[in-house]
Amino acid sequence: MKRILIVDDAATVRMYHRNILESAGYSVDEALNGIEAIEKALQESFDLYIVDVNMPKLDGYGFLRELRGENISQVPAIMVSTEAEANDQVAAFKAGANGYLVKPVKPEQLLTHVRLLIGETV
Amino acid sequence: MAFIKKTTSPTINDGQHTPEVRDCQTLLTQLSSTDASERRTAARELVGCPDCANGLMERLKIETEISVREVILTTLTRLGDPVSIAGMVECLRSEDAALRNEVVEAMKLLPQEVAPMMLGLLADEDPDVRIFTVNVLESLCHPDVEAWLIQVISNDDHVNVCATAVDLLGEVGSVDAIGPLEQLKARFVNEPYIQFAANLALSRINEN
Amino acid sequence: MKTNKAKITISEEDFNKFREYFYRKTGINFEASKRYFVDKRLIERIEATDSGDFRSYFIMMRFQVSGAELQLLTNLMTVNETYFLREDYQFECMVNSILPELVKRKTDNSPIRIWCIPSSSGEEPYTVAMYLMERWPGIHQWDVEIISSDIDTGILNKARIGRYSARSVMHVPAPWLLKYFKQVGDEYQLCQDVREAVEFTRVNLAEPADTRSYKNFDLIFCRNLLIYFDDLSRKTAAEVFFDALNPGGFVCLGHAESMSRISSLYKVRKFPQAIVYQKSLESR
Repeated sequence: MKRILIVDDAATVRMYHRNILESAGYSVDEALNGIEAIEKALQESFDLYIVDVNMPKLDGYGFLRELRGENISQVPAIMVSTEAEANDQVAAFKAGANGYLVKPVKPEQLLTHVRLLIGETV
Repeated sequence: MAFIKKTTSPTINDGQHTPEVRDCQTLLTQLSSTDASERRTAARELVGCPDCANGLMERLKIETEISVREVILTTLTRLGDPVSIAGMVECLRSEDAALRNEVVEAMKLLPQEVAPMMLGLLADEDPDVRIFTVNVLESLCHPDVEAWLIQVISNDDHVNVCATAVDLLGEVGSVDAIGPLEQLKARFVNEPYIQFAANLALSRINEN
Repeated sequence: MKTNKAKITISEEDFNKFREYFYRKTGINFEASKRYFVDKRLIERIEATDSGDFRSYFIMMRFQVSGAELQLLTNLMTVNETYFLREDYQFECMVNSILPELVKRKTDNSPIRIWCIPSSSGEEPYTVAMYLMERWPGIHQWDVEIISSDIDTGILNKARIGRYSARSVMHVPAPWLLKYFKQVGDEYQLCQDVREAVEFTRVNLAEPADTRSYKNFDLIFCRNLLIYFDDLSRKTAAEVFFDALNPGGFVCLGHAESMSRISSLYKVRKFPQAIVYQKSLESR
């Protein structure tokens, strides 16, 4: 079973993503900010990360830069943001994201991105 | 064995000596030192200088070293005076996303002091500022929080401002929120996230 | 109203609700295996507050403006009992990973400096000293300074005297006990060599004048202290440690504590025995 880490400080968002992903057969773990996500990524391996931009302590950009820069994990990551502008997306990809979704996220949108990035049939 | 007991920093005291008092002007000057550790020390010790908030704010705006920013914000939070609060509010509009997140965290630690500004900020024209303001509300134990959130979900056109508010309403909402939550669902009928979050809030309210 | 105490139970759903809330508020996470421990304390507080059942108690705690009940419960959930070799995986990590990395980087013969806070009655700093003598060959080549601080001068005096109950030394390996302690009645007196390896000082972490002179440390143990602090004091403490450390220096927190809820100053480092926090080498 593929394992996904949801990194978001909002409990409802984590629960929403968890429901969608678990219904589609993925196993899910959660972290409340970037540092906690780094701790988890150091201790176990995931197949994909779903990362909110705005979080306390270490935000989505900071998390991705450290994850990639320190070579903790190179598996795909989807950035989730309230910003739809192109320069925000570019910044996310530069930080190490492989996908970008604008909030509020629709279930089929999320699953399509996840399947594509994990290398499954959409 | 190679333990040494004599400390290499002779200034470590046992709480017996009167600590040297540093004057506020020197500390404010030291805030512009080229050495980040000097700047952190100054920012930390300025907590003893009641009129230093302006100087700290000025530095915060140009400071690029995250560690120094963190200490400056801690001192501003510990001061919690009107100048510090006004400065934090100003930072909510910064282009620097990391700074905005840091400021939201600082404001969360000052519920009493920031409460009077909340209503104005919830009506701000910038949706990002409104989202950050709802985030600050999370830590506020203020009797009006629920009314403010209800106003947001009833009137705000921006789906992500409403989404942030619903999240919190699930925790603090009472029966007063039930009608507005139903209306919100009707207003954003094609947004599965709003449906999910509003239903969750409703079930939590009904449970209590 | 008649209350029947025997009837108070915590369902699995209650436990999960509480766990999520408590984690969000305090950063302390209880695994399912801690269920009994958590239930017992919750029931204790439900009874003490005459709440009747979990639901009423949980509502009261969540909406109490003062937050007093949550603080009380936090203290209960984090019983702080200190003894020799407590959470010893971290001392293993110190001798197997942290110290080897530190000495590899050293370019001079200056001493390795270790700060233990809170000192409490001395079990922890003395454990560090014994671990260094027994488990780290580097002690023959390097000078080490151990400084241990507490806000309470009474406890510091107790630490300096170094006399302990049987319970306190329960986890000390028998050969170490023979070598470093002398039994006096029901108690154990720590020998002078170990006592002299540690310097005790009084420090209030929230007072800049107290902490100003604490610099150039390579390793800080601060275990099970920050959980008792509020958010702002925790953050202040983490910032004080940052300036007390040399670049590349390490902080070890207690098993239920994580820097991820306190400060973004540190890098997370994973070693075989423990997660520790590091001031990056490039930091100034």
